[in-house]
Amino acid sequence: MFEVFKKEILELLRDRKTLFFIIALPMLVFPIIIALVAFLTSQAGLKAEQQVHTYYIVNDEYAEAFSEQVFYHKSFKKYQGDLKLDSVHALSKAVKLGQIDVGIFIDSDPRESIKIGQQSEWKVVFNDAKAINFTFNRINELANTSSHAVRSNALLELGVEPERQQAVLKPIVISKVDTADKRENYGEKLGAFIPYLLLPLVLMGASYPAIDLGAGEKERGTLETLLLTPVTRSELVLGKFFTVLASSIACTLITVASLAIWVSIATRFISIDVITTAFSSVTSWDFLLIFALLLPVAAMLSSLVLAISIYARTFKEAQNYMAPLSMGIFVPIVISLLPNMELDTTTALIPITNVALAIKEIVKGTVDYGFIGLIFIASAALAALLLICCVRWFNKETVLFR
Amino acid sequence: MITVNTLAKRFKLNKEHKKQKQRTDVREHDGHFHSVKDVSFQCGYGEVLGLLGPNGAGKTTTLRMLSTALTPDKGEIAIDGIDIIKYPLKGRKAIGFLSGTTGLYGRLTARENIEYFGKLHGLKGNVLKQKCEALFTMLDMTSFLDKRAEHLSTGMKQKTNIARAVVHNPKVVILDEPTTGLDIMTTQTVIAFIRTLKKQGTSVIFSTHHLDEVALLCDKLAVIDNGVSCFDGTVDEFKLRGESNELNQAFLNLLDERRHV
Repeated sequence: MFEVFKKEILELLRDRKTLFFIIALPMLVFPIIIALVAFLTSQAGLKAEQQVHTYYIVNDEYAEAFSEQVFYHKSFKKYQGDLKLDSVHALSKAVKLGQIDVGIFIDSDPRESIKIGQQSEWKVVFNDAKAINFTFNRINELANTSSHAVRSNALLELGVEPERQQAVLKPIVISKVDTADKRENYGEKLGAFIPYLLLPLVLMGASYPAIDLGAGEKERGTLETLLLTPVTRSELVLGKFFTVLASSIACTLITVASLAIWVSIATRFISIDVITTAFSSVTSWDFLLIFALLLPVAAMLSSLVLAISIYARTFKEAQNYMAPLSMGIFVPIVISLLPNMELDTTTALIPITNVALAIKEIVKGTVDYGFIGLIFIASAALAALLLICCVRWFNKETVLFR
Repeated sequence: MITVNTLAKRFKLNKEHKKQKQRTDVREHDGHFHSVKDVSFQCGYGEVLGLLGPNGAGKTTTLRMLSTALTPDKGEIAIDGIDIIKYPLKGRKAIGFLSGTTGLYGRLTARENIEYFGKLHGLKGNVLKQKCEALFTMLDMTSFLDKRAEHLSTGMKQKTNIARAVVHNPKVVILDEPTTGLDIMTTQTVIAFIRTLKKQGTSVIFSTHHLDEVALLCDKLAVIDNGVSCFDGTVDEFKLRGESNELNQAFLNLLDERRHV
């Protein structure tokens, strides 16, 4: 069995195509994608941040202080043209035509309307379809300042001194005391996405060599010779299985390592607080536990793809089976992402879902070791079952000489 | 010494095949294709047996059963009295097999291919090394030993394949059309190699369509037609039965005689 394993690994290492998918792809392509996305997002953000908007205020005499603040704000520039606008409709037409970037319609003087118990309604007209847009927030901020001043004056006239105003406005303050610590909170969100990244990699690392080791051997005629050696079929299957498993784990490890390196490089330039806080409390023991959990999944997926590959007649047929499988692996992961899905005795028995849930629990720091044991047993049993299928198929003439 | 007795093997026909009303082959009935119906022959120590038959007669299926890759439905195969259908592992140790479809591992060198199979047969260390060296010289392989098998020519591949098949000193060597597609020099090497095996007391069974090779090498002949053995005996007996001194003519006469009965 060891000889089979040794030879398969040697052959695998000499196969540039497979090596590329297992090592080069995760090592280089993922960082490039991440860097590209980060670069484009920051560029877009910077552009939106620096953009100066041309504005037009209808009835600016109702709010001189506000108009003045907008006028002196570095992101806004007063409209200099000859157009006279007097309604929301006219403003939106001007925005659509690109004559102005933002229009503000003020229907009354807030200082007057508050006296008769009415609100002054201001309308901000602009195109809000862009993902990154600071326009509304900036105007809202300035309007709040004006609003605050008007309110403060009105209360003073009613005899409420400035120091009592806060309490009058908001007599009851409600705040949340979350028993879930920060880690649990972030872990719930972040931990759910780690399986998304890891599990498809485990499958990818397994499927490339598996196709070659089963269907590939059949196609090249080496399987027949192999079957004529006095090595038992179980030994052959195990030798091949361990090769696939090793490749699958190697693929995952390389990807995670490269991801860790690139993230640590990236965080030196831009600090992402959410990730740092979430991961700061995750110990190396937890990382070890996550890897330990990937082991049964890798074993299960390895034996699954090997079984498929042995069953398939040709390389191409095996590839045809792998395509829906790589889609299918997302289904159990999505199940684990459903709201309120918890690791319990039932979910611990659903393959892949169980590991996805357990990884989440580990990142959250609320893991139950009993369930981890159950996951190990369930996954190992399934892997063994699939391996028995492999051995059975290796004994069947109809499968071998299809 | 290998004895083959009343061997039979049938394959299930797939549904599309069954629907076809026309029966093209007499061996298709009751949902099965009876590839081999009744094949018997034997080959003693140091004997070379030539297996003859038209294309599709069941030669490859017979040889695959001998190699233990396929399990026969009926009949027996014994090597030195050991039933290899019952004990396939013992059979695999005693048999070296080569067919047109057996391939090599492209990304391993010729040497690695042979050593790998040696190791799978339980050879180790010096024994393996010596055996390999002997084969390399005998088959004149030293010039391309460290080239990857995928870059080898047809002749080099065939030599590697032969060395791979006999690396474990099998008692019986089965060669399925070993000279097909080879040039004259390589064919000569293969013929010389079969003679060496014969000298060492190995039983050699080989199927071929080249009757000149049969004349050169074979002590005995077995003919299969439509899955049934129709001759098993020495070359002289064959000429007698075929009523001709030319092997080609004798072969044709033999098949003709059968078809007209």
